[in-house]
This record gives sequence, C-alpha cells and structure tokens, in this order.
Amino acid sequence: MAATRNLLAIVLVSCMAFTVQAENMQLDVNLGWTSLDAGGNDELKSGKALAVHYDYFLKSWLAVDIGLYLSDKTLEQNRQDIVGDYRTSIQSQAILLGVKPRYKFESPYEVFSRLGLQYWRTELEVEEYFGTGIPGGTDSAKDTGYGYYASIGGAYYATENVLLQIELRYMKQLDVFEGKSQYPFDLAINSFSFGVGYRF
Amino acid sequence: MIISPLLRTYLPGLAAAAFLAGCEIDGGDNLPRVPDQGLFMYAEANRHEAEDSAEVVAAVFDDGEAVNLVGGDVFEAHTETERVLLTKGGFFDGSYAESLPVDNSVQDVFFNVVHEPLEARSNRWYPIDILNIDPGPGELVGKSAKVSFPQPVTINAPVADTVYSSINDTINFDWLTGSGGAMRVLASVECTDGLATSSYGVVVDEEVEVGISLDDGGHAVLLDKFIYDINLGSSGIKFVSDAALMLLQELLNKLSAGNIAPDFLLKKREANPIESTCEIRLFLQRQLNGQFDTTFDAGTVVGSTSSEVTVFYLPPVTLD
Repeated sequence: MAATRNLLAIVLVSCMAFTVQAENMQLDVNLGWTSLDAGGNDELKSGKALAVHYDYFLKSWLAVDIGLYLSDKTLEQNRQDIVGDYRTSIQSQAILLGVKPRYKFESPYEVFSRLGLQYWRTELEVEEYFGTGIPGGTDSAKDTGYGYYASIGGAYYATENVLLQIELRYMKQLDVFEGKSQYPFDLAINSFSFGVGYRF
Repeated sequence: MIISPLLRTYLPGLAAAAFLAGCEIDGGDNLPRVPDQGLFMYAEANRHEAEDSAEVVAAVFDDGEAVNLVGGDVFEAHTETERVLLTKGGFFDGSYAESLPVDNSVQDVFFNVVHEPLEARSNRWYPIDILNIDPGPGELVGKSAKVSFPQPVTINAPVADTVYSSINDTINFDWLTGSGGAMRVLASVECTDGLATSSYGVVVDEEVEVGISLDDGGHAVLLDKFIYDINLGSSGIKFVSDAALMLLQELLNKLSAGNIAPDFLLKKREANPIESTCEIRLFLQRQLNGQFDTTFDAGTVVGSTSSEVTVFYLPPVTLD
C-alpha cells in the first residue's frame, strides 16, 4: 500500500509540474451501466454510475486525467440458503488519477484511453430475514483503499468544443475489507458509458 | 403378500400421482411418517462398505411439520475426531445432509443442533464476520442424538452382474449374519428402452417384504419389488422417499464422484421398466437404532452400514 501511495504522489506532483505549461483542458461527464464482480459466488445485478473527468492536455495527444466516480447502490439478487433469505448491495465512490492518451483523426473523431490509480470508498450492506417470529434486519460496513482503472473510448466532435463519447471502463478495487475481515475480496467494476465532453 | 395399512394408504396415491404426473414421482409429498403432534427427530448416518466418509441426514418435525433451522442454527454431526455441519438441503424443507469423514475406528456419530452463525454462512461471498445479522440461538439448539454403526454388511449373493429376465424371478439375498441389526434394501434403478430412460429409487423394507428386516443371513425377494409395468402401475413397489431418498442420493453422488443428476431418483419415467433393460444397484443395509434427546417426544435415529451389488434385468425378447 505504501508503494501505491508513493506512486499516486509522484503522479500528482508530475501533473502539477506540467500544468503551468499546458494549454488545453477538457471536462467529460459520462453516465454508465456497471457490472460488478466480487470474485466469489456473488450475483450482483447491473447498476448505474456517473463519472466526471477533468483532463489537462500536456501535449496534443496526452492529458492528465483526474476523475470522480459515483455508483448507484448495486443490488444482488435475492438469495436463500440454510441460514435465511438475504440480499447484499454495494455502493462505491472513487477519486481517479491517471493519464489519458488520445488519437485525433482528420475527420471529427478521436479515440482515447485512460489508465491510472483510484482511491475508493465502498459501502457494503446486507439485508437478511429468517421467517416469522425471528428478527432479521440490515447491517452495513464501509472501507476505503486503492486500486486502478483503465478504459478505452471514442468521441465525435459535434462542434469544435463539444464531444459525444462512449467508453468501456474496467476498475479494480483491491483488498476490500482487508484488515477488518478474514474474508477480504477484490471488487471488479466493468462499465459501458456514454457522455458529453467539453473542450475549453 | 401382506400389505400394511400404511402401505394401503400410500400406494394408491403414489400410483395415481405417477400416472397423472406423466409417471413422475414427486418427492415433496413423501414426507417421513411422523406423528401429528410433538417434537420428532429423524437422523441417520450410513457408512457404505469401506468408504472414508458416511452420509449423514437429519430433520426435526414439530407437530408433523418439518422445522427449518434458520438464523445460524444448524445440525452438526461429529465423531471423536471429525465434525461437519449439515448444510446441504435435502429433498424437503427442513431436511439436511452432508458427508462425514469416518474410518474403521469410528463407532459412534453424535448429532447436535448448534448455533453457528458464521460457519453456517461460510458459502457466502461477502465478509460474514463483519456483516452478520444474528438472531441468536433458536429453541432447538442443544438438542442431540447419538447413533452407532452396526457391523459392516458382506453380500454373498446375488453375485455381481446376475441377469434376470422376468419380474417373477427371485433375487436370493445371502449375507454374513450380524449381531442384531434390521436389514433393508435400497435400490437405484435405471432403465432404457433404446429411446428413453427412467430412473428411480426403491426401498424394500419390512413394510413391503415381511421378514427382510431379520438379520438372519438370507432372504428371497421377487424382482417385482424393483421392476414394474408403467401401464399397470407400481403397486408392488415402494419408491424411496423421505430421509432414505436423501441418503441414497448422497450415496450415489459420492460413488459417482458427483457425476449424477441431483434428481436422478426422481426422474421422469419415460421408458417402461418392464420392457426395458435395467441396471439395478442393490444396497443391502443393516440398521441399528440410536438414542435421541429426551426432550424429543419421538424419533427415528439410525446408524447403518451398507454394501452394494449390481444386477441386471433384461426383458424377454418378443417377436411381433
């Protein structure tokens, strides 16, 4: 974890050093559908998420990418075992920091990708019921940690400043509840999103 | 043949159900015959031949209704050295099964209802130790039973791969006499007519075959206790049900290393057994009654050993 923190700090300092020389910036707002996998026998349904990115172009093809990721509460299917009927849900937020290379074609299209690290905060909730006369209820726990993200996407310049874009994203939250539980897990989030970008 | 009142009650219903449901037996209707009132325990531990694990099954009934153990209450089966929780659901609500490691030194198996809110949830994916809604132990926690394994079963006859060609043929069972257990036969039958298959489970016990339970070293059983004519009904057969169904399914699952359908013993009957080639896996079982907790009003708790022999039924060839 210390190495991850150091890496984040280096990226941040590097970005700040370049900022004074940069000229262009871009703001992206994407709405997406997510698919979560906690690595076990989870059956989490699809959810929704919002991602906002601020890109500062150091060169015409490379930007520093700073983002905020907010997911809706993603529910699991209702499940039943010998203990009771239960359902889990997950809600996540993350701060993203990385780079965004792009390639702009002659035509009003470009392709891009993002690659970087994330600092996440995730809340896991469980509802469980046992039947008539036996008290059930809800329990929840939160954790924070680090991970990474990567994406590829394409954009269409509707005007000189406005882009319409689609993006496929993969995010990995590492060691969720490590140190708090004997059963930590890695949370993978896949998403397909579309959105609007504004080039300043 | 002497037919007990219970049998007279159940068999017409079973036969009718089989006919009306496309010859499919619904295990859900075959609840153990438990009293309408009071707390009843059913538990059985069976060790098959020299296997290194025993099948254990258990259920509790309150006023005739199976009780679901929930909230972390669960059956535990243990020997002096090994312990398992019965976390597999059986064929009806409130029935539970599992495999318990055993060896030749193991004589007794103890059943307890325990409250294990974490272990009972161990198949869940999320951190159960920090997200745990625990209602506390239920009323059945602490109740117990004990069974002992009888002597192992050694079958002398029929010999493996014996072929029978008529349901009026007799299977002459011959086994080494034990020291006073009750005998019964469980059978897994799989028939094929070249186009379709049927598979089902049968039990031959004192209820359908008077004298079979005596551990006297031998008994003759007509093949019509295992093979029947779908068009005439299954009046001579007692399909395996309740906990014995769980036990036989668990046993078949283990002997096939998991390569058997979970509903093998309840499959649709599409091939008519009497006109089909059938493989009959006979499990001769020796049962010994155990003891249950005095807080139960009644119960059937049994330790058992079993041995297997496979025979075949080949219908006579008919010329059209």
